[in-house]
Formats: sequence, C-alpha cells, structure tokens
Amino acid sequence: MSRALKYLLLFLSLGVALAPVYWMVTISLKSEVDHFASPPPWFSFTPTLEHYYEAFVTRSFAQYLVTSAIVAVISTLCALILGTLAAYALARFRLPYELDRKLSLWILSTRMFPAIVTAVPLFLMMRDLRLLDTKASLIIVYTAFNLPFVVWMMRGFFDEVPRDLEEAALVDGDSRLGALVRVVLPLVAPGLAATAVFCLIVSWNEFLFALVLTQTDASMTLPVGIAGRVTQYEIKWGVMSAAGAVAIVPILVFAMAMQKYLVRGLSLGAVKG
Amino acid sequence: MRLTRSLTALLLLVITVGCNKDPQPARKELTIAAISGVEGEALKQAAVDYETQTGVHITVTEFPYANLFEKELIDLNARTGAYDLIMLDDPWFPTFATKQLLTELTPLLQKRGQNGPDTDFIDASIAVCRHPYQSGSLYALPYVGNSQLFFYRKDLFEKHSLKAPATWEDVLTAAKTIQEKESGSGMYGYVMRAAQGNAAVADFMPIFWAFGGEMFDASGKPTVNTPEGIAALEFMVQMGKYSPPGYASFNADEVGAHLLQGTAAMSINWPAWIGKFDDPSKSKVIGKIEFTTLPGARKPGQAEIGNWLIAIPRTSRNAETAMDFLVWATTAEQMRRSALRGNPPTRKSLFRDPELVAKYPAYPAQMRSLETSRPRPRTPQWNEIENAFGIFLSKANSGALTPAEAMNQANAELEKIVQRGQ
Amino acid sequence: MPNSRRLSNAASRRHLLLPYVLVAPAVAVLLALSIYPLIYSITVSLQVGDAWSIGNFTRLASDNFFLTAMAHTFVFAVAALSCEFLLGLGLALLLNSQIRGRGFFRATLLVPMMLPPVVAAIVWRLLLNPNFGAINGTLKEIGINTEALTWTASPSLAMMSVIAVDVWQWTPFVFLVLLAGLQAIPQEPYEAALIDGSSRWQTFWHVTLPLLKPAILIVLLLRTMDLLRVFDQIFILTEGGPGFATETISLYIYRSAFRFFDFGYAAAMSFVLLALTNVISVVYIRLLRNESRA
Repeated sequence: MSRALKYLLLFLSLGVALAPVYWMVTISLKSEVDHFASPPPWFSFTPTLEHYYEAFVTRSFAQYLVTSAIVAVISTLCALILGTLAAYALARFRLPYELDRKLSLWILSTRMFPAIVTAVPLFLMMRDLRLLDTKASLIIVYTAFNLPFVVWMMRGFFDEVPRDLEEAALVDGDSRLGALVRVVLPLVAPGLAATAVFCLIVSWNEFLFALVLTQTDASMTLPVGIAGRVTQYEIKWGVMSAAGAVAIVPILVFAMAMQKYLVRGLSLGAVKG
Repeated sequence: MRLTRSLTALLLLVITVGCNKDPQPARKELTIAAISGVEGEALKQAAVDYETQTGVHITVTEFPYANLFEKELIDLNARTGAYDLIMLDDPWFPTFATKQLLTELTPLLQKRGQNGPDTDFIDASIAVCRHPYQSGSLYALPYVGNSQLFFYRKDLFEKHSLKAPATWEDVLTAAKTIQEKESGSGMYGYVMRAAQGNAAVADFMPIFWAFGGEMFDASGKPTVNTPEGIAALEFMVQMGKYSPPGYASFNADEVGAHLLQGTAAMSINWPAWIGKFDDPSKSKVIGKIEFTTLPGARKPGQAEIGNWLIAIPRTSRNAETAMDFLVWATTAEQMRRSALRGNPPTRKSLFRDPELVAKYPAYPAQMRSLETSRPRPRTPQWNEIENAFGIFLSKANSGALTPAEAMNQANAELEKIVQRGQ
Repeated sequence: MPNSRRLSNAASRRHLLLPYVLVAPAVAVLLALSIYPLIYSITVSLQVGDAWSIGNFTRLASDNFFLTAMAHTFVFAVAALSCEFLLGLGLALLLNSQIRGRGFFRATLLVPMMLPPVVAAIVWRLLLNPNFGAINGTLKEIGINTEALTWTASPSLAMMSVIAVDVWQWTPFVFLVLLAGLQAIPQEPYEAALIDGSSRWQTFWHVTLPLLKPAILIVLLLRTMDLLRVFDQIFILTEGGPGFATETISLYIYRSAFRFFDFGYAAAMSFVLLALTNVISVVYIRLLRNESRA
C-alpha cells in the first residue's frame, strides 16, 4: 500500500475521530441561537464564555468535577494496591486444589456481571450501610469494578518477570513483600501505569452506578451532572458541552502523558496470553 | 511486616478521606428534589429567599424529568429519607399516593390555623393533589399551573387569510395551506412531540379526547381501540405529513427549536415556552407567535393539565419545617415571584393580577385553559401505561404500524398491564 | 534453581499463609459486593407480589418486549463488534508499518474512547438531529437530500446510528490492544516468511494473524462483554426508541426496575442476561487457554 494512501487513510480516521469532539467544543462556545442554525457554522461564529460561566460558577459543575476527581483517584489507588497484591500472589504461588487458577477465573468473572444486575441490590446495601449519597459508596463500588481488571493485567505482567531477581533478593535476606516492592514493581511500572490509566478512565466516566447511588449534589459526579442538563423543555446543550469539554481534559492530559507506557504496558502483559 | 502495616494505614487513611460526609450543622436543613428547568430554577430562588428570611438551609437537587420520577420513587419506597420535599408532575401523583408514600397535609394545615387549602387555588389544580382525585385527602400543593396551549404564527395566518384555529380540521387545513404556500422557505405546517413515552402521549391526549376517545371505560377496562380512538391516531399521523421529518422522535426541545427558528407554524406546547419566544438571544420569531386554547373536534377542546405539585414524603425527618416552607412558597406573594420567573401560578388572583397580565398577555387564555383542563387517567400504573401506549403511538407515527394495528396492539398491552395490577 | 532455604516452623507457616493474606482483601471486597446482590436478586426474582412463584420467569417467554430487546442486543453486539474489529485491525496494521508521526496518530486516535460515554452520546445526539444537526446540515450543503435521513428518529436507521456511535467511540480501544499485540510479535517469523518468498497477503494470513490470536481473543472478549450490557449511550441517544427500535436488554431491565418498580421481573431478566454472558465468556476463555497452551 502506497505511503500516500496510508497517510490519507490515517488523516481521514483522525478527522472522523476528532470532528465530533471539535463540534462539542464549538457548541460550548456558541450562543444558543447558533446551536441550531442552519447551515451549521463549523468555523464562523462569535464565541461566548457564557456556558462555561453558567456551568462552573452558577451551577455546581465545579463541585461535580472535584467529586469525580476524588472518587476516581482514590478508587484507582485502592484497586491498584489490593489488585496488585492479589495478582502477585496468584502469579507466584501454586495453591492447593488449583485454587489459584480458580480464584483467577472467579475474579475475572465478576467483571462479566452486567452492572444493571447489581444496581438495585447495591442501592439497598448502601442504604443499609448508611452510605447512600456519599463519595465512599462510589469509591467502594468503583474499586470492586476495577479490581478484576487490575488483577488480570498485573498477573500478566508478573508472569513476564523472571523469578531469579526475587529469589536473589530473598537470598539476600529480604522479605517477600520487600522483594516485591523493591525488585519487581519497578520492572512492571509501565504496566502499572497503563492499568492505572484505564482504571482512572473507567471511574471518571462511569454513569449507571453514579446515577443510582447519588441523590444530591453532595456526591454527584460529572457524568451524572452532565446528563442532568436534559430539562423537561429543552436540552441545555451549551452547558453540557462546556462541562463535557472540561470533563475530558484531565483524562486527555493523563493519557497522553502515559501514552508511551500504554502500548508498552499492554504488549508486555496480558496481550501475550 | 512494616510494609503491610504502612499499606494498611494508607488504605485506612484513603478510605476515611473518601467517607467525607459533612458533620450535621446545628441549624435546620431541608432537601428538595426538583425538576431540571424553569420550575426547578424558580424553586431554587425561593429556597434562597427563604434561607435569608428564616435561616433554614435548603438544598435543591435537580434531575431531568425521567430521572426525577425514578429517584423519588426509589427513595420513598426504600425509605432512605433523602428528600424532605419532592416535586411531582401531576400524572405521577397517583403512584405515590396509592403506595401511601406521602404525608397528609390537612392536619398540618390545621395546625397552622387553616381548615384546608386556600380557595384562591384553582380547583383543577387542587383536584389533582387529592387522592382519590378531586374528593380525597390532600397530599400535595400545586406550585406550577401548567396546562397546554395552542401556539400559532399569527403573521403567517394573516398572510394567508386564515382565522385562528377552533377545530382540529382548521388546524389541518391551515397546516396544508401554509406548508404549500411557503414551500420555498423550509416551513412546516405543524410540529409535535412524538418521541415514545411521555412526549407522544402528552401531545396525543388532547386530540384523542377531542375526537371522543377515552383511555378507560367506567369499569377501568382499556378502550383505546374504539373507532374514535383509531380516528384520532389516524389524524395525528396525517398531521405528521405536515411536520418536520423525524418528528416521530421529537421531544420538547426539538419542538421548541422549530418554533424558535421559525420553521414550524403551529404546535401544542406548555406556557413555559412563552418567555423564550420574545428572547432575542434565542428566538427568530419575536412578536409573531399567538396562543389560544386547544382546538376541539367532536368534543370541545380540552387542554391536558400538567401541574407541578410539591409533596412531603412520609419518611422525611423534617416534616414540620418542610410544611412551613411549602406553605410559604405557595402563598400569593411567593407564587407571584415564581410567576415573574416564568412559572404559571396556581392561584386565581395571580392570573388576574394586572402587573402579571401586562407581562404575560397569555394569562387569560392560560387560566381558561387551566380551569377547563382535564388530567391524564389517575391510575398508579400510569408510568407503565404511558410507556407502553407511547411506544405504539411512536410506531404508528414512524410508519411501522398502521393506526388501527397500533391501537389494537396498544389496547392488548394495556389490558396485560391492568391485569397485572389487580 | 537456587537451593531452597530451610525454614523454621513459624517462618514456614507465615510463608504458606502469605499468598492467602495477599489475596484476601481483594477477594473480600469482590465477595461482599457480589454475594449480597446475588442473594437479593435470587430472592426477589422468585417472588411475584408477596408470594413465592416462578411467575417472573414464565412471563419472559411470552413477553414480546423482552424477546425483542434480546434480539436487539445481539444484533447490536454482533454488528458493532464486527465493525470495531475490522476498523481497529486496519488502523493497527496501518500504524504498525513504517510511517512518520506514529506517536501523534496513536495519541490522537485514542481521543474518542476517553470521553465519558454519556458525553459522546450527547454530542452525537446533537450531530444527528435531522433538522439542526451538523451531519444533515453538512450533507445538505453538498447537495444530498436528507429528508429521509432522520437517523435516530427512523426505525430503520436508528439502530445503525446507535451502532455507529459505539463504533466511533470504541474502535480506538480495539486498535490500541491490537497494536500492542502487533508490536509484541518478534521479527523472526517475518524474516523467515520473507526468505520463504511469501506474498504480503500470505504473510499476513499465516504469520501475523496466528501470532495475534491472543490479543484478538482478549479484545473480542472484553468488547463482547461490554456490548451485551450496553446502556449509557442508548439511554441518552434514543432511550430505546423510536417505538422500541433500539431497546436493548439493559434498558428494559432498568426500566422495569426503576420506572415500573418491578424488581422481581428485572432480576429474572438479569439472570438470563448473566447466564448468557457466562456461556459466551466461557467459550472465549476456553479458546484463549487453548491458544496459550499452543
């Protein structure tokens, strides 16, 4: 295939990928009359910051942003810590009755649960624990959400690392966990980074559980806040787009920074099977 | 095992930070679940005013239409006590009242020296706050006095020598004329909501009733597939020919957009839109839109009532404080403020108030519409019924089924639902 | 292998317990959040009203809405998966070859999957609006008649629109995983094939694809799971309409639970969905295991 054709296809794909995002950003900067103007002004319009002001100053989107950030970061941390420990155990130890393989499979299977199945029971559970409408309930749920993925990914990475290095550390008098932290973790850092990025994205973007488990602004996350701009009479496209534009910035920044590690991390681990 | 200990400490710290629910302050607090949009906005403003006056802190959480119902239903049923006051669209009221989820208001009114609700409230509005309808105990107070109006472009009507539509046939003729004569400018004669669910049903019921259709007979059996019912749906589909393409999925925002952009000549809509038509940052048809009561057919035109009510859940832990706020917010003075923010009131005195009428010349038409309006069937299964009925209306409008097929299948589905409810 | 150390009894016990201790927290969290829902769902699905009965399950067979929703879910999953796979593979192959600006393309092509699905759906809802959306607007500008192109309002085009939005958002994910897979393939098989004189197509079919199988299976597995339980985008784009045309099983379950307050029926349907998901995932996992043994 000729070089020119390759570049053409790639740029075309780029256009398709980015055009809708660009459109969303323009909507956030256009006044309401321009939203539905025909023909659609892709480039020529007078920009206004009124929607951003309305979203972040008049309304509570700044609060939603902070909530989303706290929930995403803490749940990712918890999932990474718990999941990495479990993954290490399952990768390095042979348990009786093939327990390690069965546990791996069981952990993976919980990711197969359609969220809708657990939405109502979890709502009731959180109510009984008096955790409804708190960030804690979302953190717990998202941790559970991300755990299977972390375990699975990290297990793949650990499998790639040869045991000799740890054995050497153990012989030198290190404890198992010490060896893990000082010797193995640095080696799987790219994989850890890739996993962390995925977990952050999942927690940041999650909708269904946030919808069900939050009741007031105290715990609402960004996706719920954005979807809530569908009023009975009109959809506040401007405010939604402004919030949407801001919602993707942290992820973009983080993912672009980690981008190198994403591909390396994936290819180091689970992809090999 | 220093490492495990420090890891555990980190975990605990992290979890504690996450569990951050603010400690309860000493002052009184209320939480309201409100609808996203102009009504919720007005209530938010009222809440701020109330706090300035009394020091009671009120949190208003807004939800989109469908979510509001779900949130309130699950909160009240699960007895989580998250909300002290809830806004209800009047068709939802039977569901909540039948399940006994609401606090009866008459005793609370009596404690405050009133025997019942003010006679200044419009009867139709108070009627939907009672369970059973009209005659039963009072479980809510009406806050927004919405009932449908018929909107039309008076400039286009004058241009083509059409008189204001009094019957649906007039509407059809006008739509045909305008669309044909204005065919160059992308103009459509009519625009309606036909998205499945609340949208389609709300826009269809006035036509249905005007043609003589009834959803249920006296014994509660579904009767949507009577000849009158089918004729009504056939008419709606016919009107669809003069509506913008894709109307079968339109919701309020698309209808509003067409009216504001000037590409549709007539529509049924709620009074809250009136303010927008004269807003230069939103409208291209300033001063061109006129409103009147709904057209009739076999039967005189009746608007569908769509009041927003405020009720107090039985599980509220602050019922007395909530009642104080509710009574305050529905006094004439507070409701007048809400009216100035775009919400039709539910008090006769306000509809006749000269200052308000000067600002909203449609008030006389609105009051007439409200006083002669009729509610959607008061059944606790309304949500399921509206959902199923809406699906079949949408299918008829998108051409997937003929009107007769749609009505027959709808009736069968409604029968299933009613049977499950017994 | 280095000689195993002789451990004291206490140390050896600690050594044996260690794996369990490491796994315990994760297992505890997962257990807590799956046991209660499971028990609750079983209990509630076997009740109709206040009485114990299997009525919820028998109702499934005669409920047209349920069967249609299941059919829609499958059509959606199969169509979206095929498109995402083919496009993702194509993109991965493109980017794996010698071109400049790889990093740039790779980074920017990932953007769609970074958006919250809710935001993506909202943007597309605006774009696809038949009268005011940019898509029809631009088509009109270049002379195409858009009267019949009502996208999310047309029963025939709605499903396609919804699939297109999912493909737009998740092809980058497929592309990412397959690219990683491609880059993990060592050079030797290619060199051998070159020496053997195979054509580009033969190399692709007999060398690349087989070595890519693990990555392919993994990405297919992950996407299938997500597609079967799709909710966010459809909820915002069409809410299942027009006239039920895009209603998938998750939407129907959600509606039954949260709008009609029929938790028992919702739970019964959830079990069917769960069973289905399990069967499919078992198939994939078996295939995966055979691959890693090979």
